[in-house]
Amino acid sequence: MSIDFTTISLKDLAAFIYDTLNRNGIEIILVGGACVSIYSNNRYQSYDLDFVTYEELKTIESVLQKHGFRRVGRCFSNSSCPYIIDFVNPPVAIGNESIKNYETLRTATGMLKLLTPTDCVKDRLCSFFHWNDEQALEQAILVASDQNIDLTNIKRWAKKENHEEKFALFLAKLQK
Amino acid sequence: MLEYLFSNKNVEKILIYLILHKKANATELSRAFASSLDPIQKTLRKLEDGGLLVSFLEGRTRVFQWNPRYPFLEEIQNLAKKEYEFLPNHMKQSCYQVNKRKRPRKTGKPL
Repeated sequence: MSIDFTTISLKDLAAFIYDTLNRNGIEIILVGGACVSIYSNNRYQSYDLDFVTYEELKTIESVLQKHGFRRVGRCFSNSSCPYIIDFVNPPVAIGNESIKNYETLRTATGMLKLLTPTDCVKDRLCSFFHWNDEQALEQAILVASDQNIDLTNIKRWAKKENHEEKFALFLAKLQK
Repeated sequence: MLEYLFSNKNVEKILIYLILHKKANATELSRAFASSLDPIQKTLRKLEDGGLLVSFLEGRTRVFQWNPRYPFLEEIQNLAKKEYEFLPNHMKQSCYQVNKRKRPRKTGKPL
């Protein structure tokens, strides 16, 4: 498949990377702000694709360099592509909760495994809880407004993380 | 004490330092441990890549602190706390600056 990295969307690029690595036996999961972009239909635009993997970066490098991606530290970039691909250390976790279930999307460039919308909201709220990051709160609200999410599950998780007050703030903003 | 586990003598020192001081920059750590700056910077980057630490710019200085989102944070902090308890007093004083001033000092005030 010939890919034009100059004009590719974040979602298509994420799926291309997932599919390419997966066909080489490498399992990766998309997390972070890129999931927000996908679930908010780009109302928040991320240029950073964070994938969690247990694979050695050398192995990933050997696959991605065939597609023009160069490695700098844990990140990969392609001179014609506006996005940066970052491989984050495992496990996939949100606060103290280990994540086992993922969402799978099919796109024109392949399949993509990523956080579920509910876990994506938790992931953003985690940054709001710990660093008072208002941008992350806004992103959580974007995803929660556009997607079906399990608020009971998020409330239970927020309680376990000792951030019920901040969860209440999120809920109040969401219901406005 | 746990150098063999981390394969790096700076890791345990940095973890103990952060238990006591919550945040640190590379220069401060290299002074505290009387070590060169480069290996300290490399270790900090490694701990950040691993997800245990996060960093922020304060002015022109990159300051490292615990990542509150790291799932094994409590366990690693407990290990570092216990290591500190087992250190002899002279090492506690020399490496970890337990008496370091933390309260504010007004700009321009002579010592």
